[in-house]
Parts: sequence; C-alpha cells; structure tokens
Amino acid sequence: MLDPETISFEEIGFRAGLEVHHQIQSKRKLFCNCKPELRTETPDYMFERRFRPVLGEMGDFDEGMLIEYEKGYRVIYHAYTECTCLYEQDEQPPFWPDLEAIYAGYQLAHWLNCSALVDVGIVARKQYLDGSITTGFQRTLIVARDGWVEVNGKRVRISNLTVEEDAARKLKTENFGRTVYYNLDRLGIPLVEVITDHLDCTNPTDLKKLGEIIGLTLRLSGIGRTGIGSVRQDVNISIKGGDRVEIKGVQDLSMFDTLARHEIVRQDMLIQIAGILKERGFEKSHLEHTYYEITEEFPSDSIPKGLSVMAIRLPKFKGILGLEIQPGKDFGQDVFEKASLISGILVEHMYHSDELSDNAQRRRNKKLPFLFPLIDKSLDGKICDVLDITERDAYCVAMGKNSWTIHAMKKIIERLKYALDGVPQETRRLLPNGNSEFLRVIHGKDRLYPDTDTPALDLELQRIQSLKSKVGKRPWELEKEFSEKYGLKFNQLQNLVHENRLDDFLILIKDYNIKPIIAYSYLTETLKHLRRKGVNTSDMGVEEIKIVIQQGLKKKNNIYDFAAQKYLEPKKV
Amino acid sequence: MPNKKNSVREPTGYRSKLRERLIREKIGVWSVVKVVRGNSIYEGVVLPRSEHTAEDYLVVKVDTGYNIGVKITDECKITEIGYQKGDYHLPEIDVKTKKELPNVSLLGTGGTVASRLDYRTGSVLPAFTPEELFSAVPELMNICNLTPKKIYSILSENFKPEYWVKTAEAILQEFHNGASGVIIGHGTDTMAFTASALSFFFKDLAAPIVIVGSQRSSDRPSSDGPMNIINASTIAGYADLAEVVVCMHGNTSDTYNLIHRGTRVRKMHSSRRDAFKTLSDIPLGMIDSKQNIMFFKTDIKQRGNTEDTYLDAKIDPKVAILYSYPGCNPDILNSIIDLGYHGVVILGTGLGHVPSDFFPGLERAQEQEIPVVIVVEPLFGYTNLRVYETGRDMLALGVIEGDNMLPSAAYAKLIWTLGHTRNITEVKEIMTTNIAGEITDRELNSGYLIMQGIEENISEITTTLDPNPKEHYWGEQVHKTEE
Repeated sequence: MLDPETISFEEIGFRAGLEVHHQIQSKRKLFCNCKPELRTETPDYMFERRFRPVLGEMGDFDEGMLIEYEKGYRVIYHAYTECTCLYEQDEQPPFWPDLEAIYAGYQLAHWLNCSALVDVGIVARKQYLDGSITTGFQRTLIVARDGWVEVNGKRVRISNLTVEEDAARKLKTENFGRTVYYNLDRLGIPLVEVITDHLDCTNPTDLKKLGEIIGLTLRLSGIGRTGIGSVRQDVNISIKGGDRVEIKGVQDLSMFDTLARHEIVRQDMLIQIAGILKERGFEKSHLEHTYYEITEEFPSDSIPKGLSVMAIRLPKFKGILGLEIQPGKDFGQDVFEKASLISGILVEHMYHSDELSDNAQRRRNKKLPFLFPLIDKSLDGKICDVLDITERDAYCVAMGKNSWTIHAMKKIIERLKYALDGVPQETRRLLPNGNSEFLRVIHGKDRLYPDTDTPALDLELQRIQSLKSKVGKRPWELEKEFSEKYGLKFNQLQNLVHENRLDDFLILIKDYNIKPIIAYSYLTETLKHLRRKGVNTSDMGVEEIKIVIQQGLKKKNNIYDFAAQKYLEPKKV
Repeated sequence: MPNKKNSVREPTGYRSKLRERLIREKIGVWSVVKVVRGNSIYEGVVLPRSEHTAEDYLVVKVDTGYNIGVKITDECKITEIGYQKGDYHLPEIDVKTKKELPNVSLLGTGGTVASRLDYRTGSVLPAFTPEELFSAVPELMNICNLTPKKIYSILSENFKPEYWVKTAEAILQEFHNGASGVIIGHGTDTMAFTASALSFFFKDLAAPIVIVGSQRSSDRPSSDGPMNIINASTIAGYADLAEVVVCMHGNTSDTYNLIHRGTRVRKMHSSRRDAFKTLSDIPLGMIDSKQNIMFFKTDIKQRGNTEDTYLDAKIDPKVAILYSYPGCNPDILNSIIDLGYHGVVILGTGLGHVPSDFFPGLERAQEQEIPVVIVVEPLFGYTNLRVYETGRDMLALGVIEGDNMLPSAAYAKLIWTLGHTRNITEVKEIMTTNIAGEITDRELNSGYLIMQGIEENISEITTTLDPNPKEHYWGEQVHKTEE
C-alpha cells in the first residue's frame, strides 16, 4: 500500500469533484405546505414501507437499484404532525412546487456563471430504494448547466445545478441493518445540488477550497439555509487507471484531505491487485458460484443453533485478500463490507484464509471476531480439503442464516470477479478514520424518469434573466480584493461572512476609514467575545459599532478593552 | 444504432413550427441530437412531448439521465448525431406451471395495478403482460399459477355497466376453466361499483372474486400494488371464501390488507393507500404481511362447487343517481323523468330526506312507475322515512327505502333489478331484500369507529408497528432453499 502521507497527487493522476447539497432558505417545503423544520421529540405517529425498483424511461432497470432492492429493507418512519403531512407520507400527489425556491436555484446559477439556463422546468424522479424518500424517488429539477467558479486561480467547471427535495433523516438500523428508521421531518425541504466536474480538482487543497467557495457563494447570495445539517457534500475521486468513486455525505470539509489520501491508496491497491491477478493468469470464469456448507466441520455446539457456515473456493487468490487496502484494513474487509450490507451477514461472521496469519489486520486488534478462535490450523486444513484448495488459492467463510449466507457468498464472488477490472464505480460511506465502506453501486441514469405528477413548469424567462442583477461580488473576487486591498486572508473573509458582517466591514473601511484589520477583529473576535459574555450583539448596527471603535481608538487605543467595559460594566464608562 | 435510412423519424407530440422544422430536418423522437443555442450545447435523446405543454420546447434526455426542455428559436442549431430507441419492457421471465399451486386468473381491466409512463401526455398508462407482472413481483410465482389476461384497458372512471357484464362473463369463463379464484385488476375510482355489481350478478358463487388495484401507480418504487396483488393472489388461491371482495391496504403501512365485502366497501379518500373502508360494519377479514388470513365475520360464504355457479347479469343501465342538497332544484328530477330514465337513486339528507319541492317530481315518478330508491347522504346508517313528516310524505309518494345500502350498491342493484323486471311492486320487493350483504339487519357500534385523531391512547395505535414482519425476500432461489 502507498504511504497516504507522501502521495504525489500529480503522479497518481488525482482527479476530484464535488456534489454540494445545500438547503434553500424557504417558507415551506418544495412540494407541500409543511414548515421546513426539524424535530427530535417522540414521534406523533409511525408507519412502515417496502420498496421495489421500477424501470427507467429507456426501459432498463438501474443496476444500482437492483442491488438496493436486494438489501430488502423494512423501512420505519417517524412522523410529526407539525412538519409532515400526507405528502411526506406518500399518500397524496405533490402540491404545486414552491416557485420561490426554484427561482432561488436560478439566482444561484447566475452566481455560478452558468451559461445554459434551463427554460422549462421538468421535474424528474430519481430513484432511491434505501427508504430515505417515501415515494422511492426524489423529485428533482435541473435548472442550469455549464458554470464555473474560481479556485486558487483556476477555473473549476460546474456541470449541473439542480433544485430538489431533501431526503428523510436516517435515525438507526436494527436486525443486522435490515430494518431502517427514518425521521420524516427533513423530507421535502428544498435544496440545491451543485455538481462540479469531477475531473477539475487535482489536489485535496483545491478540493477543500472548492467546497468553501461554493458554501460561501450560498451564504453571500442569501440562498442557503444555515444551521446544522443544512450542507452535505459528496466527493467524487478517481486516479489514473482507477474509476469514479463517490464518498457520500461528508459534512466536515476538514476531512477532505484524509479521505482523499485514503481513497487514493485504496484505488491504487485495487489496480495493483488487478495486475497481480492478471499475472497469475486468473480469469473471471475461475470463480464458481459453488457454496459448500461446512457447518459439520466445526466442533459441535460451536456454531449457534439455526445458523450455518458456508465456504467458497477462490482460485489464485492466495495472499490477495490479506493485502492492506486502507490503513488498518485489508482487501478482504472491503469485500466483506459490501457483502454484509447487501446480505445482512455481519462482517464479524465472515473470514478469509489470509486471516490465519498472525499478521492479519483483524488479528492485530485485541477483539477477535467470532470465527477466528474456531478456525485453527487443523480446521483450516479440513476446509482446504473440502474445497480442494491448492497452494495458490484462497477461501472465504461466512456464518449466518442459510439463505442470508448464500446471498453473502454470491455477493463475495461477484465482487471478486470484478477485482480483475480494478476499481468498481461505487458510492461509499466515510468512516471516522478517513477510510470508507461500500454503500451502493453508483447510481446510473436509468434511475431517472419524468415525474408524471407535475406538468412541465413554464417559468418566467424575464424573471430568470432579471435575477442576474442581484448577483454581487463572488467569493473569489472578494478574496482577491481582500488580499490586495485590505491585506486579509480568505479565512478572514469566511469569518466575516459567517458572522453576517461583510457589509458592515465594507462600510467601516470605506465610509469611515477604519483600518481593515481593526474592523475585522472587532466584527469577528470582539463581538464573539461579547456574545460569550452574554451581550446581545445581533442588534448592534454599523453606526453603533463605528462609534465604539472610534471612541476606543481615541480613549485607550485598545478597542477590545473599551468595548468590554462599555457593554459589561456600563457604569464605569 | 440502426441505420438512419432504415428508421422513420416521427416527432411524436411536437406541434406547429417546431414539428415542421423537425420533420424538415428529419429529426424525430429517439434521435440523438446536439442542440446549440448561443453558448449552450445540449446533447441527448429526443423524447416524445406531452401534447398539452408549450409548443416550442424540445425535450432531450441528457447523459446524466435528466430530461431537459430547450426552447428552440430560429437561431438554434439542431443536428442528429445518432438514434437510440427507448423500449419499455421488463426482462422476460420463463414462467412454469407448478402442479402443487392453485390456478388463479387475473383479469385486467386497466387501472394502476400495473402501469407505465405515457410520453404523449406525460402521465401514467396501464400496462399489463404476464412478463411485466412476474418480473415486477416475482413472489407471485410461489403463491399460485397466475394467468393474467387483459379484458379491457380502460380507466375506471370510464367504466360502464355493460363492462360489469362482460367482466362477469370473463370471470365465469375462468371458473369453468378451473380457476381456484379470480382476481380483477381495477382502477380504484369505481372499484366499489364493480364489486357491488358482481356481487349481484353471481348466483351460488363457489370461489373468491378478488378486486384489487393500487393507489400509488406501479411505476413508483413505493407502489402499494405489489403487496395488494400478492395478497389478492393468496386469497384467490387459498381463502375459504366465495364472495366478491375488495382487497386493499388496511393502513398507511405495508403491513396488512383488509378484505372488504363488495357491497359494503367504499373509497373514502382520494389518494391514500388505505382509502377503502367497510361502512356500517367491520371488514370480512385481513391478510398480514406474511399472507396469513384472518376472518372477523362469521357470515362468510364458503367455497363450493364451481359448476353450480351461474351468471345472472341482465341489466338495465338507464338509472341515475341524484344528490340531495340545499337549493337542489327539482328540475333535475323532472329532467331525469323527461329523459325516460327507468330508475333513480337519491342520496337523501339525514335519514333520507329530499326538499319538499321535489314532491311533484316524485309524484310524476310514482305515476309513471319509475322506482325512486332512497339511500342516506351521511353514508353510514339506515334510511328512516317514518320519523319526520317529510319522510312520511315521501313514502306516500312511493319512494323505496334503501335501508343501509351504500349509494354504489343501490345503483348497481337497481340496474340489475330493472334488467329483470320493471314491475314496481317486484322492484320494491327486490330492492328492500338483502341479496349480497348490501343490507344488514343490524348495525354494530364497531361499524362506525371513525377516529378523529384526538382520542386518548391514539398514539398507541398510530405508533404500533407490525409485530411480526415478513423477512426479506431475494427472489425464487432463496425462497426454495427456505422450504
């Protein structure tokens, strides 16, 4: 495995892009009149559903959707009278969409320099079978294409801009992940999805900056809703010889660097594995769907009642499943995680032959998974006999309910066949240590089809054009202005915007000739400090602030002390 | 991609100038085109256009799967760069008959048990082939040998009494061919009317007739159709029941279906899955997510010999339904008489009353021996025209009390009755005698437990989940190993 810390992004051919999901400031949800609010108390009512894939418009099942269906989720919803109605329950057709939210999308399109604005709004359905949307599809509407933003002096293309309804919030899972709970409150809140070209970022630093620039654009334009969970990023990453992998739902931009490095080493290792297999003369047909039930080989009573153990032979795979693919994780784990998610068999109940070695990744942890103490050298020999394992072969073992285990075996074989092709296109979930695990096959275009419930929206073209005049200075323009004119850095610009004090800042320095660094530190640090001490700073207008700064400069030349005294001990001033 | 010369280009759904231009430039639906408009370039497959939308937009499906409408002006350049015909079909499935399973017929009349997109109008159209059914709902193959047949492909709002007769004839044919039960796939709008009519048509019914549909069309991942059809197949194949029933979701969850008697069921919500309710009584039974059937009523007709079943489907559809309301003009009743209708069902207010200015009209109907059947506008409860003077006057004018017949049942029954006799005494006799559960001799408290959402302990009901949910299903292979 490559050392994640010493990667040359250029040599490895790193390419990345973002899909930024940002909620839109709105009075109502996108397709109904419920309040866009979140709830945490006990639900007022609950209900449950199951989902099935349907054909895409061109007549095909989306492969990703079939895998989703195989997971066979029982989905349970928590619903609240205050912010969910029959629409979120999928018990009635949509109301007329919130056009304000859609026009907000067009306004953002102008901010992002989109040249192709869509003239007629066609609501499409994007299938999701994970239960996060009660209809089984997200209603989404493309508003613009072909835009760009500037990141560290380079242009990054915006390929698509859509307005869509947010999904329900996942609460927990039960029954080996087969039962999934969702909170319905978030479902239907309007959001914009900004998709950047996934080839345009060539290093993680640019990628993080890109996320910040887009986030700042949403703040500056006033389109974005603020608050926890209002932004989520999907990161698309590929390397030379690899393929596009989407890491889903990253809330913290500071994770970008680590996750990018860990994904690079993973893709690099998958490419290496494909090379080794080719060298060994491995062909996909060598992997057969023959599952051996080997429960009897285990000591009696060691396997819980009702469960069985199955094994499969993996020709020419010796040593491969044990290869470290991400820090602390071998290829076998990566395969097991996928099989586990789809079949419901726990990763702890799966084992591969490279794990007999003392050096195996999972043996280094103190907690040994269930099968490990059971499979010793002698049992390993027996399994090898049953499966007819030769020196170059490996095997996998899984334990669980019979039908679930067969399903897991099937998934392991399918995934290992793909090992010859290198990096599969996948959507993956970020883990806290920067590694990732399989979530679903990357969704294709077959999961999109027109929404039959909403006729095409004839939008006012004039209004769409006129929104252009509302566009202010873009973040990269401000960044330049800040550095050249005021000597301030990008993160200082960010701080001002997040404090909602950019306009005040510009007035203070332009109209009142206050030094930029003084205005900056008062508007961010001083106000923050006062707020922590219990002073209500949100009502302080620019006039009041100006006076305090000027008086502070005159009296003590220490504005902070002056302000603290003025607001915290008013009698002394 | 087929050669351009071999495939005709038809710009389906496009109109006026744009249509002319597309024909001129030999571009049609399924052409892969490149549209250049100013700085913007769109590449994608031309999709059929809905006829009811603005005419100067071209709709293309771009590579990301999105559909984009592009306003085509004279400045735009459209070039065909390929051809890619969309083909709506499901993978074919080889269906084998299994001796151990019951034979069930599924007669499709349209509606949304199975449906597909219609590009022309942008809406949903019914689709109905065995392949589609089985690949969409593979579980069916392990329940029964299901033979789907399409008898109509009409939306249920377009149903006519004549179609009830044809449907009944088709059902009888299936019984004669050895079906253990028959399922009718039906649009939900008028499903209850058909259920009532069939209840009157069949004599000595010996097997179940299950009417089923879906409130969420089957082109949606959340459709209620698959569970409804699975449950209907189980009832048709196995239940000891020989009645016409409606089998639809029992609540908003995918957890159980209710089995409603055909003459007592009514669609009570425009869009919910659990729209169908039994009125003034409890449902016959339920079927849970594991297809266990439980009956609640004890008066259920049990299976018999299908050879005994015969059809008595003589009808006279010249019947009208009138709704009594404040300000309702008696002209309407007079017009019905003038137009030569043979019978009228009136939804009378309260216990069954009509405004007293209807009396001359009722008198005319009486003179011309046109039966006027009264049912109650409140839907629940019995008519009673002896309590108030208006009612007594109405009785004197010859109206027939429909007791607690639902409007749909009274309408179907009057059509069926008039098909047999127009003798007013005989009509009255038949209309006031229970034939298929449409009139009950008592109503229980449980027949009217309509919750209002504010009852104490209601959250216990609304937060209770399926205590014994069905385990997940991966298709036939897995199912076999479990057996």
